[in-house]
Amino acid sequence: MTIVDLTSMGEPQSDQQKEIRNRLRSLQDQISEYCYQCAKCTSGCEAHKLLELEPHKIVALLKRGLINELVNSDVIWTCMTCLKCRERCPQKVAPVEILFALKNMAVASGKQIPGKYTAMLQSILTMGLIQDIQQITTRINTTVKREDLGLPALVKPTDPAKFQAGIMKIAMEKV
Amino acid sequence: MKKKYALFPGCLMPTEQYGYEISLREALPVLGVELVDVEGFSCCGEPMKSVNQLMTLYLSARNLAIAEKHHLDLFVPCAMCHMALSECIYVLESNPAMKERMNGMLAAEGLTYTGKQHLVHTVDLLYDHIGLETIKQHVKHPLKGLKLAAHYGCHLIRPSEIGRPVNSENPQKIEEILKALGADPVTEYPQKLDCCGAPLLANLPESALTKTGQKLQAIQEQGIQGLVDVCPWCHKMFDSRQTKAGETVAAKLHVPVFYLTQLLGLALGVKKEKLGLELNLSPVDTISFEEAV
Repeated sequence: MTIVDLTSMGEPQSDQQKEIRNRLRSLQDQISEYCYQCAKCTSGCEAHKLLELEPHKIVALLKRGLINELVNSDVIWTCMTCLKCRERCPQKVAPVEILFALKNMAVASGKQIPGKYTAMLQSILTMGLIQDIQQITTRINTTVKREDLGLPALVKPTDPAKFQAGIMKIAMEKV
Repeated sequence: MKKKYALFPGCLMPTEQYGYEISLREALPVLGVELVDVEGFSCCGEPMKSVNQLMTLYLSARNLAIAEKHHLDLFVPCAMCHMALSECIYVLESNPAMKERMNGMLAAEGLTYTGKQHLVHTVDLLYDHIGLETIKQHVKHPLKGLKLAAHYGCHLIRPSEIGRPVNSENPQKIEEILKALGADPVTEYPQKLDCCGAPLLANLPESALTKTGQKLQAIQEQGIQGLVDVCPWCHKMFDSRQTKAGETVAAKLHVPVFYLTQLLGLALGVKKEKLGLELNLSPVDTISFEEAV
């Protein structure tokens, strides 16, 4: 099992797709009905000004069942997860959660994951953290690593094989 | 009374944001906090939420179960980790089937989640658990009326539905702590609740930096002497990437940015060199502090 199997194969993840589709269906049937398009989410949205994300429109599209169109759209990847929409929605719709489900669906259906997500996932599988110890430059232009600063050893999973097996299982698990 | 916690380091603080870790390890024991290093913790899972929410939940549950095994409450200095772990507790407490499913998975590593552990972040540890009076009693070198602004971080203040350590729309605990340290923080500024941009680093790094640049530029124009943060992600943006963030808004930025624990350490009399201040890339040395003895 490799990272490729986890992130870009449509077929083996059909169980997962089913689970996410169920999640999206319940968001569509039970949650999006509450939205009355007041756009309070969009007025506070951190991604709105910069990247034109309009959470209330995402909810409207979900309500109409345009799930595939949303999953294939780049706009779902502009959410900054600032959580203002979830905090402020008078109807508890939480567009940020809808966006997470749509992104999860994009990944499970084999669309390529953007940016550094694949590298971060690979690193988690290998060592439990999104990145290993970095050498950093100080303000006076010297370079230091964790161990140079007298900090204790890096905390990470003690049994990497077992840890990796757990992640693999959760990523592939049947519903 | 001694307060004992397992330190949950997360990913970013122990692999690059060393200034936060060094300063909290130095400053908090002065106030009677004992931090225990526990083997086996991993990523909190939050960075993977866009990829697979179930994985996020599993990683959080696993970390909580490790703390439970050691019978320790958790000190979680990263706002993002704190939110992920809080949400995991919220979800598993309201969804017994999911809790059972997670425990089925955790059994492979000999772990069980029952949900007994409490979480604290830097801000509520200082404000609610240690308290302003105790902090005041320990201040040796007051921060001499410094005009500072606080940045809380989105994940620390929202969503209040799952329980957060501070108020979501008008957070004031950092300002109160800074006042106890002798500083003179601005309690309001228009961009106070604006995001640092970090969650976009993974896939839209230019936009992430623009967000950072816009907030820093506004702070600079208001004549604020320095920005104070409490999250390694926010600090990475505001401090480590400040020069680059400035380029995105065509501004030369020079806002000193501190971790709250660095200022706490200075005020408590911890020696400057023990607080990792040379690791801040923003011009923190333009502010002169009364030298700790």
